[in-house]
Amino acid sequence: MAVHRLSRWALLLLAVSALSTFPPLSAQNTPTPAIPRTTDGKPDFNGTYQWPTYLPGDERGRSNATIFDRKRFAPFKPGGEPFYEPRTGDPRHDEPRDFCMPAGFPASILSGNAMQFFQTKTHLVMVHEFQRNTRIIPLDGRPHREGLEPMFDGDPVGKWDGDTLVIDTTNFKRWALDDHHYTNPNEFRMHSDALHTIERLRWKSPTAISYTITIDDPKIFTAPWSQEFEIIAKPEWEKDGLFEYVCQENNRCPGGKCGGEK
Amino acid sequence: MKRVVFTILVILALSGGAGRLLAHHSFAAEFDDKQPLKLTGTLTKVEWTNPHIWYYIDVKNPDGSITTWGLSGGAPGQLMRRGVKKDQLVVGSVVNVEGFRAKDGSHNGFGSKVTYADGRNVFTATPLDRQSTPAPAK
Repeated sequence: MAVHRLSRWALLLLAVSALSTFPPLSAQNTPTPAIPRTTDGKPDFNGTYQWPTYLPGDERGRSNATIFDRKRFAPFKPGGEPFYEPRTGDPRHDEPRDFCMPAGFPASILSGNAMQFFQTKTHLVMVHEFQRNTRIIPLDGRPHREGLEPMFDGDPVGKWDGDTLVIDTTNFKRWALDDHHYTNPNEFRMHSDALHTIERLRWKSPTAISYTITIDDPKIFTAPWSQEFEIIAKPEWEKDGLFEYVCQENNRCPGGKCGGEK
Repeated sequence: MKRVVFTILVILALSGGAGRLLAHHSFAAEFDDKQPLKLTGTLTKVEWTNPHIWYYIDVKNPDGSITTWGLSGGAPGQLMRRGVKKDQLVVGSVVNVEGFRAKDGSHNGFGSKVTYADGRNVFTATPLDRQSTPAPAK
């Protein structure tokens, strides 16, 4: 009898424990996405993708490139470096990319072209069709390199935070933040040389990556700010692969000077 | 069958944002949206090259002379992913081109749409890229 009573108590405790430990039935029924994984169990980002695209409701620019939504921006720092920079009439200042200068990160990854990622245990290589921009991101725990001049794409290092890949990038050259100047031809949005970006990549479904960029630019903004985008897998693009992109090949009208007939 | 495939390709090219192709530079860097172009001429050459395709048409002037116009479009990779291929621009064909003139006033421009005499269109880029909208508020 005592044993029987004990069993009933044990069953009750087990039931209470189960109710407090497990999520509600509705959540249990939500399937965990079967995300791609490498042989060592890490999320597998190898593949071909569309460039990062907007989430519903976010501001869209007037080119095929994605731009940041102004409602995400943190307040400007009083007396800080200017974020908006007007065109001056000097074509080399006004649109350096028209002279085949690089887009620079993060504008580079937001450009409207295909991307291909190659992942090993020690590196993620992100190749963007636009300008064949290549970012080589160490995943082996090394610190940022020191003593280098500021760069268009900065100096990235990556690490895993569970199933999220976190890419921390520093040491940028002052450059256009995004392609806002396609939408408003009167001005650029510039980041400073103090820019520090943090990207977070996480599979949100078997075919889509959540991609969040944090912009930490203390010379311009009072606080870091972030925007989430979505990177869609495009396995159907893998047959053709990335196309060649040599900007200098036939850049006929740099600065609007086409030089007459050809 | 060929016609059906062509139609599908054009529909594909027009869908998914209908262009917005310029990626290498903004429209304002090279072209003048206050100088729209409508040209009819014979397609003489196609350069399927980066950073933008260029194609050339010979336009007959009222005095009988010929002016060659160079017209820029999207990047080859972007166009190909939209189903627009180089062989859709057939050298020797008479085409109508809509676009905008280069800022330097030369016989060059941004050709967004090529239309053949039978009405077929090849969307080589789009005027949506031009930036004639007022500056948005900050």
